[in-house]
Amino acid sequence: MDLETLIRRAQGGDAVSFEELLDLHYDTIYRFAWKWCGHPTNAQDIAQLACIKLASSLAQFRFQAAFTSWLYRLVISCAQDWQRGQRRHEHDELPEDEPASETSSAEDHIYLAQLIEQLAALGEGMKETALLVHAEGLSHAEAGLVLGVSESTISWRVHTIRKQMNRQSKDAGARTGVVA
Amino acid sequence: MNERSNEARLQRMKAPPPDSQARLLAKRAALTEFARVQAAVAANDNVDSQASAAPQRLSRQEGRGRFAMNWLVPRGWNGAFASLCVVALGATLLWPIVSRNIDPTKLPELSTDVDDARVAVSPARAEASSGEIEQPAVAPTTAAVKQASEAPIAPTGADAIDTRRRDERSGEMLAQSFESETLGPVVIDAIQAEDIGKFPDSNVAESLQRVTGAQIESAPTELNESVVVTGHRGSLQSAQEMKRESGIDEVIVTGARATGNAKSRNPKLAASAPAAPSYHYSRDGRVQTLILTQPPASPAAEDNDKFRHFEGNPIKQVVQDPVSTFSVDVDTASYAFVRRALNSGSLPPQDSVRVEEMINYFDYAWPVPASRAVPFEPTIVVSDSPWGKGRKLVHVAIKGYEVPRDEAPDANLVLLLDVSGSMDSPDKLPLAVQSMELLLGSLKPTDTIGIVVYAGAAGMVLEPTPISEKAKILAALRSLTPGGSTAGAAGIELAYKLAEANFRKGGVNRILLATDGDFNVGIADTEQLKGFVERKRENGVMLSVLGFGRGNYRDELSQALAQNGNGVAAYIDSLSEAQKVLVQESSGTLFTIAKDVKIQVEFNPASVAEYRLVGYETRALNREDFNNDAVDAGDVGAGHTVTAIYEITPVGSGAASVDPLRYGSEDKRANSGKQSEYGFLKMRYKLPGESRSKLIERPIPLSTDASALVSREVRFSTAVAGFAQLLRGDAYSGELSFGDVIREAQAAKGDDEFGYRTELVQLVRKAQTAKGM
Repeated sequence: MDLETLIRRAQGGDAVSFEELLDLHYDTIYRFAWKWCGHPTNAQDIAQLACIKLASSLAQFRFQAAFTSWLYRLVISCAQDWQRGQRRHEHDELPEDEPASETSSAEDHIYLAQLIEQLAALGEGMKETALLVHAEGLSHAEAGLVLGVSESTISWRVHTIRKQMNRQSKDAGARTGVVA
Repeated sequence: MNERSNEARLQRMKAPPPDSQARLLAKRAALTEFARVQAAVAANDNVDSQASAAPQRLSRQEGRGRFAMNWLVPRGWNGAFASLCVVALGATLLWPIVSRNIDPTKLPELSTDVDDARVAVSPARAEASSGEIEQPAVAPTTAAVKQASEAPIAPTGADAIDTRRRDERSGEMLAQSFESETLGPVVIDAIQAEDIGKFPDSNVAESLQRVTGAQIESAPTELNESVVVTGHRGSLQSAQEMKRESGIDEVIVTGARATGNAKSRNPKLAASAPAAPSYHYSRDGRVQTLILTQPPASPAAEDNDKFRHFEGNPIKQVVQDPVSTFSVDVDTASYAFVRRALNSGSLPPQDSVRVEEMINYFDYAWPVPASRAVPFEPTIVVSDSPWGKGRKLVHVAIKGYEVPRDEAPDANLVLLLDVSGSMDSPDKLPLAVQSMELLLGSLKPTDTIGIVVYAGAAGMVLEPTPISEKAKILAALRSLTPGGSTAGAAGIELAYKLAEANFRKGGVNRILLATDGDFNVGIADTEQLKGFVERKRENGVMLSVLGFGRGNYRDELSQALAQNGNGVAAYIDSLSEAQKVLVQESSGTLFTIAKDVKIQVEFNPASVAEYRLVGYETRALNREDFNNDAVDAGDVGAGHTVTAIYEITPVGSGAASVDPLRYGSEDKRANSGKQSEYGFLKMRYKLPGESRSKLIERPIPLSTDASALVSREVRFSTAVAGFAQLLRGDAYSGELSFGDVIREAQAAKGDDEFGYRTELVQLVRKAQTAKGM
C-alpha cells in the first residue's frame, strides 16, 4: 500500500492504517526529536507528543506538501511546545530534569549538545534551519516548506548561522588566548 | 575552519535508535488520541451548529476577520502604526488585541456583525510623544459562552517595554494580563498579545482555554486563519512570502516606532531588525498565526547586512612566490560602515573591514605628476614596520591629477533611486535626497541629471534636465516618497535607456544607484545583473553605487556592481559622508582619469625573505592577469589617492616567520644579484576611452628619501592600516594596540582640513571601548 492510500485511510478513521503509519514514521520522528534536543529521554517525550499530535491533526494533512515535510513541521512544533513546557517548570522551580542518560561517545555528545544550544541562541528558527539543512540534508527549498518560510529566508539563515558560528568560535579562541 | 566542522558535525549527527518501550508508549498514547478524535468527529457530525464547529458560522467569522484585517492594514493613525493583533475565533469568541493609538471609537465596527461575541477593547494610555515601543497590547476577552458579562471592560494599557528580550518579557506579559484582569470593572480574563506565542498551543482557541472561565466546548477544529506579524522589513518580507506560498488568508505587519524622534511617516519601517520570524502555529500543515515582534533599532540590526567573507592575506615566501598582483581599489564603503558600527557602540563585523578601503578613505598628499601626460606617478616609501620588529613597510601610492571644475567634462547623470518602503527611514531616502541636493552644487550648469525610481513599479521622475534648472530638479527630488515593495521593476534598464538617450560623447555618462540593499531593479539574477552592467559599461555608461541605511545592506553586491560598472561603491551614513563623496571628491567620484589600474610587484629574493600585502584581499589578481588587458580592474578618478602597503621581511633581519630549510638549497638567493633593490614595481593603466594599457615601472630601493610631508602621510596611513588590522583581528598586527594607533594618528594628523583624521582618532577610542565590553 502506498503512503498516500495509507494516510487517506487513517484520515478516514482507520485505526489500523494509523498504527501502520506510526510504525513507519516513529523512527523519523524520534530521530529528529533527538537531534532537536540531543537527549534521549526528552526526545522520547517529544516523539510521544508528536505522535499524539499526529493523531489529532492528521485529518488536516492535505497532500499539499510531502508528508515528511509536514511531519518535520509537526515535530518541530511539538518540540517547541515541549520546550516551553520545560521552561515553565523551571520557572516554578520544580526539580531539575533527570541528567542525560549515559551514551556512547560522550564527548562528541556533549559537544553536539553545546552546538545545538548555540544554534538555539542564534534566534528562533535558526536551530530548526540548521537541523533540517545540515542534519537532515533537506534542500533550502524543502526546509523553507517545512518551516513555512521562503527559500531565500532559509539561505539567509544558513548564511547567518555560518557567520555567527564562525564569529563565536573566533571569540572563544580570543578568550582562551588562542590566536586564530 | 570551525564553522565548516560544525556543519560537518551536524551532518554526521546520528540519533541513537529509539527505545522500544518509549515507542510502545507513544504509539499507545497516539492511538488513544486517534480514537478520541474519531469519536469527537462522529459526535460533531450529529450535533448541528453546536458551540465550535459550525461551518456557516465559521465562514462568517472568517469574513469578519478578513474585514477586520483590511480595516487595520491601512497604515498610520496619527503616524503610528499600531501594534495589533486581531484573531477571530470560533462561533462564540472574538478576541481583538489592540494596542494604543487605535482610535477606540472605530472599534465597535469590529463587533457589529458578531452577535454572540463581545468585544472589549483597551484604549491604552496613549503616549504618542514617547516614541517608544508600542508593543503591549491588552487583550481582554469575554469569557466563553455562558459568562455573559455585559459591560465592556477597559483595562489598562501597558507601558512601553523593550521588546528586545522577548523571552524575559513573557512573564511580564503574563503579569500584565493579570493586571488587566484585576483592573477591569468586571473581572474578565485577558491574554496579552505576546502570550499567544508563548503558550504551547497550536491555535488561539487552545490559548484561550488557558483563561479561567473560557471553556471551549470541544476541541477547536477550524479557526480563522490569519497571520499577525509585528515586525517590519525583513519579517514583512518573509511574512508576505509566507502568505503567498502558503495561501494564508491575511498578513498583518505591525511594528513599533523607532526610538527617538524619527520623522518617518511610516513608523513601522523606521527601524530595521533581524528578519527572524519568531513563532508560528502550525496546524493542518498551514501556518495559522505568526507573531513577530520587532526589536527597536539595535546593533543586532546589522545582522542582515551581507558582506563577502575573506581571510586576511597571508605571509608569502619570496623564494616560492615572488610576484604579487592586485587591482587598485578606491572604494570607501568599508570605512563608512565601520564608522557606523563603532558610533553605535559595537565592533564592526570582521568581513565588513577591508583594510585597503580604510586606508584609501583618507586623502593623502602624495606627489602628483607634473604634466597631464600620465594620470599619476607612483610614490614608493620604505619605512620600519610598527607591528613587526625587524620588518619593513613598503608604501606604493598614487594620486591622480585633479581636474579643475571648469575643465571637467560634461556630465550626464541618471539617478536610480530605490523608493521602496524599506527606504523609509531618515538615514535612507531622505538622506539620499539630501545627498543629491549636495551633488547638484558640485555640478556645472550644463550638466544634466535625470531621475528614475524603482519600487513596486519603475518610473522616470525627471527627464534629463540641465543643472541650470535647479528648481525643477529639486522639486522632483523632494517629491519622492517611499512606499511599496521592491517587487520586480525595470528600473535599471530604464535608467540605462535614459542615460544612453542623452549620451555625451567624451563626457561622463554615469548612473548613480542609491539603495539600501534591495537590488530588485528588474534583473533578479545577480550574475545577470553584473553582466548587464558590464555590457553597458562597454557602451560608455558607468555605474556607481551609493549605499544607504543599515540592516539590509548588501555590501558584496554593491561592490561587485560598482566594479563591473567602473564606478565607486560608497556607503553614505551621514550627510557629512555625502559631502565628502559627492562634493569634495565629486570629481573623483564622477570623472575617471585612468581605468583598469593594476599593480604588480616582484620581490627580490636576494634582499627580501617574506612579504605580505596589507589588505586588497578582495582585489587579488592572477599573475598573468597583469598583462592581459581584457581583465577588468579598479579605476582611478580625478584626485583619487590609492595606497597599498606591503610588509616585508628583509633577508638577514632575523624576523622571518619561518625557519630556514635544513635540506633545501639557499643558493637561489645569493645568485639573484641586485642587492640594492627590494623589488620591482610595475603598474598598468588605460586612459579613458583607450583599450590598450600603458606601463609604469619603478625599482623599489632599500631605502627612500621621503619629504617630511610624505613621511607624515606614510605614518598616518600606517596607523589606519594598523587600526583596520586590529578591527579585523588578523594575526599579523603583533603587539600593536589601539593606544599605539591613537598616538601615531594624532602625531600624523597634519592640518586635517575637514576633520576626517580627527574622526579616525575618535573611532579608535570607540573601538577601544567597544572591545573592552
